[in-house]
Amino acid sequence: MTAVTSSNGTGGTASRILERRRSALKKLRAELPMAAMSATGTAAMRLREMTGRDVIDLESLQDLVSLAYRISEVRTEHRGGQHKVDEFGFDRTWTEALVPIFRVLYRRYWRVDVSGISVVPSHGPAMLVSNHSGVLPLDGAMIEVAVHDEVDRIPRALVASWFGGLPVLSWLLRRTGQTTGTPDDSLRLLRRGELVLVFPEGVRGTGKPFSERYRLRRFGRGGFVEVALRARAPIIPISVVGSEEIYPMIADLQPLAKMIGMPYFPVTPTFPWLGPLGLIPLPSKWRIRFHPMVRTDEYPADAADDPSLVMRISDEVRDTIQEGLVAELAERKSVFRG
Amino acid sequence: MVATRRVLITGVSRFWGGNLARRLEADPTVERIVAVDTKSPTVNLERTDFVPADIRHSLIGKLLHALDIDTVVHAGLIVDPRRAGARTVHETNVIGTMNLIAACSAADSPVRKLVVKSSTAVYGSEPDDPSLWSETMVRKAPARDGFTRDLDEVEAYVHDFRLRKPEAVVTLLRFANVLGSRRDTPFARLFGLSVVPTVLGFDPRLQFLHEDDAVRVLEQATLDDRPGTFNVAGDGVVLLSQAVAIFGKVNAPLIPFIAPGLAMAALNRVATVGLPPHLTRLLQFGRVVDTTALRDRFGAMEHSTLDTVREHAKQRWVRAVVEDRAYPNEAELEEFLRSRRVASNGHEKEQPVGRGRRVARATPRRRSKAQP
Repeated sequence: MTAVTSSNGTGGTASRILERRRSALKKLRAELPMAAMSATGTAAMRLREMTGRDVIDLESLQDLVSLAYRISEVRTEHRGGQHKVDEFGFDRTWTEALVPIFRVLYRRYWRVDVSGISVVPSHGPAMLVSNHSGVLPLDGAMIEVAVHDEVDRIPRALVASWFGGLPVLSWLLRRTGQTTGTPDDSLRLLRRGELVLVFPEGVRGTGKPFSERYRLRRFGRGGFVEVALRARAPIIPISVVGSEEIYPMIADLQPLAKMIGMPYFPVTPTFPWLGPLGLIPLPSKWRIRFHPMVRTDEYPADAADDPSLVMRISDEVRDTIQEGLVAELAERKSVFRG
Repeated sequence: MVATRRVLITGVSRFWGGNLARRLEADPTVERIVAVDTKSPTVNLERTDFVPADIRHSLIGKLLHALDIDTVVHAGLIVDPRRAGARTVHETNVIGTMNLIAACSAADSPVRKLVVKSSTAVYGSEPDDPSLWSETMVRKAPARDGFTRDLDEVEAYVHDFRLRKPEAVVTLLRFANVLGSRRDTPFARLFGLSVVPTVLGFDPRLQFLHEDDAVRVLEQATLDDRPGTFNVAGDGVVLLSQAVAIFGKVNAPLIPFIAPGLAMAALNRVATVGLPPHLTRLLQFGRVVDTTALRDRFGAMEHSTLDTVREHAKQRWVRAVVEDRAYPNEAELEEFLRSRRVASNGHEKEQPVGRGRRVARATPRRRSKAQP
């Protein structure tokens, strides 16, 4: 070692070797992911030929790779603060980087079957109205994945305004396109031509006991219809089946909920007994049905001020969703296998 | 249309009044500009008459009458409490506004137009706020700090004036936080720290206004008729984390989300950020106002919120290398040259006192306290 570094000439050779090695490493790092992908692809094909079925799930792997790639891309973009969020705090690129995580749940875990999604317009405003259930609002996330994958739009869900006071959620929900469920916010979004996703049941829907599953609660005071009429945006009712079974709520500890300022404190067969493990949702089979749109542009301009009309449309939407739930339930033979 | 001929501007010792006076000087249709403040202006003024007076004093009414003022621009609202003690801020903001508007609404008052500078802080900052505030929306929660309470009162006086003088043109401008090279604001100080304290678990949406746009809107409201209430802010929003990244600073979530005010008070001791309570809440919950009405009546702002932050960050970089210090005696030198120019023109020679001329006849009683 001392002999090599003592003389200048040999030192030059050593550094040249090091340099070559470094560039080789760099090349390897650049080419390795592609090589690994093609090797996995070949291996998957061989295994399929040998066993006659899919052993390696290429699609999920691709999703994972694209997730890692997108996250690194978004991170570089955000490092200098050069990205743009809209006035509601929505960051589209950031949200789209997260979609693959939910897509794994959507495709592999809950195996969501979607029907009638072609009614969602590819541009222009529309109000998506859905039933709400499952303790945590994961039904919203699944509807968003469905709409994102089919029509390449991200619906803007309206959530209860108390989220603004919660750490992390306060910015996370806004960053992913959610906003407060005030008539003012939803009207603004519709007038900008956005898709707005509304759960008129609110926490009454997510916090209902397991015994009352798939029975719709009151649809607020029809505020969503008023907004849709004002914005002249069509209403698209949605029935979601499967979300009721992810966290079967057998009891609600109201006093504890009041203490920590939450609308309900759920007790499920696994929560809170198993601690964080109890947060793992059950793998029920989901079905999401998009119903034909209810048009609002044929009513007069001041229709929103007519409470009887508003309540009529609200009930009509509610009935459509309830009938859809019953129909989808009838087709489902098993909660978990579908 | 109210012809703006003789303008009275308050708060001329600070950024707003001073720069507005300078802009108005360039307009030949404005016959006379009278600036009122307890301290001398910090910008160089050519033809503005500076009256060292306190707007809390009733002689303001006499002044309006004597000079036949048709337009009053109340730009003297203090947002940054570091500029004066809490008591002075309250006195200037509330009692000053009350007295000024009382003078304007007197039966024989010549005032036909009133422009008042307010702040978007009047909307407060709560977790369950609407995403965007329109001018017609009203804060639900009670005022959480003295400044917001004062703003409520200021706006109530403006409202009273509207009722009492329905024929007058009243413009109420609610300005968002201003950033720019010429101004030292609480946010400029915050972004000047190498480690920016933020609230743990919160990343609010903020809006900023470029100082040039701020002065332009104020000038437009003074010269043209723009009755109504307007939110004034740059287009779009910026996230606090994003702004910190643009400034190239470290985002340090040092402030707990429970009792952030206490932590901020402690930080003030250490880092002298000087963020008043109403801005501490802003760091947690943010605030965004709707600027549609502003765009309709005043045109688009030159700088969006994001541009304002970027430009301010750039200027900071430059200033870090090239110290932004003008020629030390520049103001005095200009004053000297001006007085020489007047003298050589054969007119009466003026005493170069302060920056801007002073009118003695308009101040029958000059109190020693008002002397700068």
